[in-house]
Amino acid sequence: MTERRVLAEGRRFLLRRKRDLVRLAAWSLLESAHTFLGGYGVARALDDGFLAGRTGTGLLWLAVAAAGTLLGGFAVRGVFGGLAGLVEPLRDGLVRRAVSQALAAAVADPARAESAAGGTAVSRLTHQTEIARDSFAGLVLTARSFVFTALGALLGMASLEPALTLVVLPPLLLGLAMFLATLAPMAAVQRAFLDADEALSARVGAVGAGLRDVVACGGERHVTADVGRLIDAEARLSRRLARWAAVRTLALGAAGRLPVIALLLATPWLLRRGVTAGTLLGALTYLIQALLPALDALMTALGTAGTRLLVVLERFTAAPSELPARPERPASIKSAVLLRPTPPAAELRGVSFAYGPGARPVLDGLDLVLHPGEHLAVVGPSGIGKSTLTALLAGLLAPTGGTVAVAGVPALLPQQAYVFTGTVLDNLRYLRPDATPAQVRQTVDALGLAPLLQRLGGPDAVIAPGRLSQGERQLLALGRAYLSPAPLLLLDEATCHLDPDTEERTERALAARPGTLIVVAHRISSALRADRVLVLDGDRAQCAPHGELLARSALYRDLVGLWHPDAA
Amino acid sequence: MTSPPPNAPGPAAPMRPAGPFGHARAPGPAGTSRPASRASCDGKQHAADRAERVLWGAGRHSGGRAVAVLVCSVASALAALAEPAVLGRSLDLLLARDPGASRWVTLCAALIAAEVVLDALVALLTGTVNARSTAWLRQRALARLLTASPHHAARFAPGDLATRLTANATEAGTVPATAAGAAAALLPPLGALVALLLIDLWTAAAFLAGAPLLVLLLRSFARTSSGTVSRYQRAQSAMADRLVEALAGARTIAAAGTVVREQRRVLATLPELAAEGRTMWLVYGRAVARSGVLMPLLVCVVLAVGGARLASGALDVGDLVAASRYASLAAGIGAVAGVLGALVRGRTAARRTAELLALPAVPHGRGALPAGGTGTLELRGVTVLRDGKPVLRGVDLLVPGGATAAVVGRSGAGKSLLAAVAGRLVDPDEGSVLLDGVPLDSVEPGQLRREVGHAFARPALFGTTVGDTIAFGTDVPAPGAVRSAARAAGADGFVTRLPYGYDTPLADAPLSGGELQRLGLARAFAHAGRLLILDDAMSGLDTVTQRQVERALAHDVRPGTRLVVAHRLSSAARADLVVWLDGGRVRAAGPHRTLWRDPAYRAVFATAGAADA
Repeated sequence: MTERRVLAEGRRFLLRRKRDLVRLAAWSLLESAHTFLGGYGVARALDDGFLAGRTGTGLLWLAVAAAGTLLGGFAVRGVFGGLAGLVEPLRDGLVRRAVSQALAAAVADPARAESAAGGTAVSRLTHQTEIARDSFAGLVLTARSFVFTALGALLGMASLEPALTLVVLPPLLLGLAMFLATLAPMAAVQRAFLDADEALSARVGAVGAGLRDVVACGGERHVTADVGRLIDAEARLSRRLARWAAVRTLALGAAGRLPVIALLLATPWLLRRGVTAGTLLGALTYLIQALLPALDALMTALGTAGTRLLVVLERFTAAPSELPARPERPASIKSAVLLRPTPPAAELRGVSFAYGPGARPVLDGLDLVLHPGEHLAVVGPSGIGKSTLTALLAGLLAPTGGTVAVAGVPALLPQQAYVFTGTVLDNLRYLRPDATPAQVRQTVDALGLAPLLQRLGGPDAVIAPGRLSQGERQLLALGRAYLSPAPLLLLDEATCHLDPDTEERTERALAARPGTLIVVAHRISSALRADRVLVLDGDRAQCAPHGELLARSALYRDLVGLWHPDAA
Repeated sequence: MTSPPPNAPGPAAPMRPAGPFGHARAPGPAGTSRPASRASCDGKQHAADRAERVLWGAGRHSGGRAVAVLVCSVASALAALAEPAVLGRSLDLLLARDPGASRWVTLCAALIAAEVVLDALVALLTGTVNARSTAWLRQRALARLLTASPHHAARFAPGDLATRLTANATEAGTVPATAAGAAAALLPPLGALVALLLIDLWTAAAFLAGAPLLVLLLRSFARTSSGTVSRYQRAQSAMADRLVEALAGARTIAAAGTVVREQRRVLATLPELAAEGRTMWLVYGRAVARSGVLMPLLVCVVLAVGGARLASGALDVGDLVAASRYASLAAGIGAVAGVLGALVRGRTAARRTAELLALPAVPHGRGALPAGGTGTLELRGVTVLRDGKPVLRGVDLLVPGGATAAVVGRSGAGKSLLAAVAGRLVDPDEGSVLLDGVPLDSVEPGQLRREVGHAFARPALFGTTVGDTIAFGTDVPAPGAVRSAARAAGADGFVTRLPYGYDTPLADAPLSGGELQRLGLARAFAHAGRLLILDDAMSGLDTVTQRQVERALAHDVRPGTRLVVAHRLSSAARADLVVWLDGGRVRAAGPHRTLWRDPAYRAVFATAGAADA
């Protein structure tokens, strides 16, 4: 299925690059000429020169063969130019695809992308594109070399003596057919082998990362058996590969060596037809010096690089439907509520969300109306659905039931602040690329970012995100949120790495900014500052000002009490 | 130990020097192949000897087959050597229309057929020996890895381990068969040179004069390309860096709808990559062109000299055929370098795999813990050294059976190490650890792990499904036990919210740090024995959830001794006994209430309390 898709895409790719193909073919034809001259020169040197007692003529013809060799070398340089024109665009395309697929998958399922830390995506971007590049180049190089060498050799033999091709072609074709028949089954084994190797590698990596846990649980025997099975499975596959390698060697022998035997057996007949010693030597040169090495290279490349290329390309050719779809943005509030005098900033009606059809819902029948300019804090035990709520409002998740409506496009600040390699200014203006210097200055003042900016080397300094502390990253992201035109800000524990004073300052600044603010609280102090507090408690949710909630919610009292360090 | 730095998601993808085709490796994981780790104290020579021994062991494992590889490849080489002479002789007789020709033609055909069949056999045997040797090396390394102390094994990073057991073991596994075939690889070129000398001194001289050029001209590639290759790799890793950054900010990008912008940013260095890539092919093409013309030119030279000798009647046509064939066989001396290179690479790889075999195995006793023991834990004069410095010094400690002891102290005080020593994840350098009066190192390992359980701050989970990860251990608990352990650990709530509940594949369950911790707790609870060690295992839980778990631990999990490494004041306050560690020593031990009077003790929580809310 995917295989067919890969082949179809490959065909389209090659068709788009006709010019490079023609260039490659033209240089390769020059290589054919080299092959042709190699055998022809030797035959003439013998017949017209050495055997006729004219050593000078013989040497001249050998010089022609040598010139052909130099011509071949020249052609090889041209071939590599054409090859680059074919291989580099393939790699470029794969790199682009690796990036766009990784980003698309990340956007569709941000939580997983963030926890995977880019492992597979990086391997695909660097390692696998290189495998494809090398294998594809190897295939093109050897397949083309075989075709044009064979062409040169057969033309050479035909011009020396047409009957030679009759003798040589049948065993050559027989061997090639044998080889082609091994391709599909061998590719299947090879693919299984690559899969097994990858599975083993992943498992060993996981065991290595958790050795302490394996020992602590007494799971050594279990792990030994488990990994041992993978090792044995791979060994079985590699023995099967060895059997196919033997068959391939036989096929190579048939294609490359049987023609020599056929030539020897047919020699008496050929001699009777007037074939000369030089012609025979020329034919042997074609067979042994030109065809055999080309065949050898072709079979090696097709047998290993071919499968590898196919396997890698298949990974890049996921069907569009296999990529997870991103949910629609929540309905715009303007269309949803037209008649009210002041439309709410966000509105949730009977919203439910579950991670699967059989799973218990994380949110169940949640109703919430947020007024423009309001400041809401969300509290509750871990894993209760606070982040799910922000994801629903940001449009990252679609509710399983009910409706979510938001006025305008909100800005979401997750716990893990996103800072990229780029200037400080670009990072700040991420959500408003056209921000004026005055707006930036105001943001820096409001959030007290000046010391941070100074530490980073000014607004035009390029940031290396790895060098920033988590707190510094969060501050930059908060500045970005302040500067953004979004009417609704969603802070999902976005201040957890800041000290309490800085947290208070930024939260107050963000609340004072025109627009609505929702804060998933990391410290209870965040709740005290809010207009209203939403307590999530599994099946129930309550929303009220702090004082009122203290009276109404036992969980809230518990949270406030326990959160306070002295309460223990 | 309390808060190990998060693994930096460095895009250290293994990047081979790209270019030459056909050397592509199997797409492995993003296993970062590090440079060989520091030679251990026993020195380089020792490591080489060990690699040698391991390779001999692997060779003996497939001894018969390895000998068969040797015999078949030597036979094939001899057939290949005989073939040109027989071919030349056949041709001469055929040209002379000699009736005896058919015998020589038959002999020639038989030689060629034998060569093909022998080569096929060599391919089959080599592949089989490689597969057997690789599997043998892997099984041995794995077994040793799992009998070593996790602390010793920790010097190998997970990606590094994966490389040593996969790619390195594969390469090392080719050594026995390659070594067996290496002798045969020398035969054709050397034999061909001798044959050339026997046929005609002049042609041999022509060959020998031309050959040195071959070596000289083959050298030029590495010099010219390395700059391009490193620029290419730099452009590639710049892209990888930016992609990793963007993926870590997936939520922000998704919410802001800036995917297209991010794509452009990541791909900014692609044009540079493409330009360097093209240069690489051109450089490589020049090298191939140079080396490609050499052998044909050499054969031409031999033919020219041989032709002149033929014209003067000193040689037959058959001799000329044989001479040209021997010349190309002799020029194949370069292949020997390839074999030697493979052997060197294989030995280097073997050294890396063999480093795993050098891990000291943890000795175990066969003793048993007293039946019905309550789990009295005693540490006597325990000292643990790291890099020659004591991290725990002379720790004496007695935790009565059934009691809960909290271990507190500033970070770096040795809390996690104490927990590891108490559960025999690490052996002390001095002193001893006793459980119900029996030294831990004398206890039979199965019973030890059944009776002593651990939960960690960052547990590593094993198993296919979420349920499997809780069941992982010496014995498989009943499904009901898994569920109730999960409930006690506060994990049942989020597990049942997963798409398939307990049957959700682990790979499909995006878990937060706190959720991972609770699965780790559930695993420990499901297998709880007389001693349970919780090493900062609730740091990711909010205070309400932690309270619930502590309550369940007191009532719903098998009763026994608990050793709890904790940062929160509440944990210390609720423990029967607090062990206050300071700089690797026990500064004080006693009830929280008593210790609280000491301002220095209160200061331990002042810093910890601010960090976690």
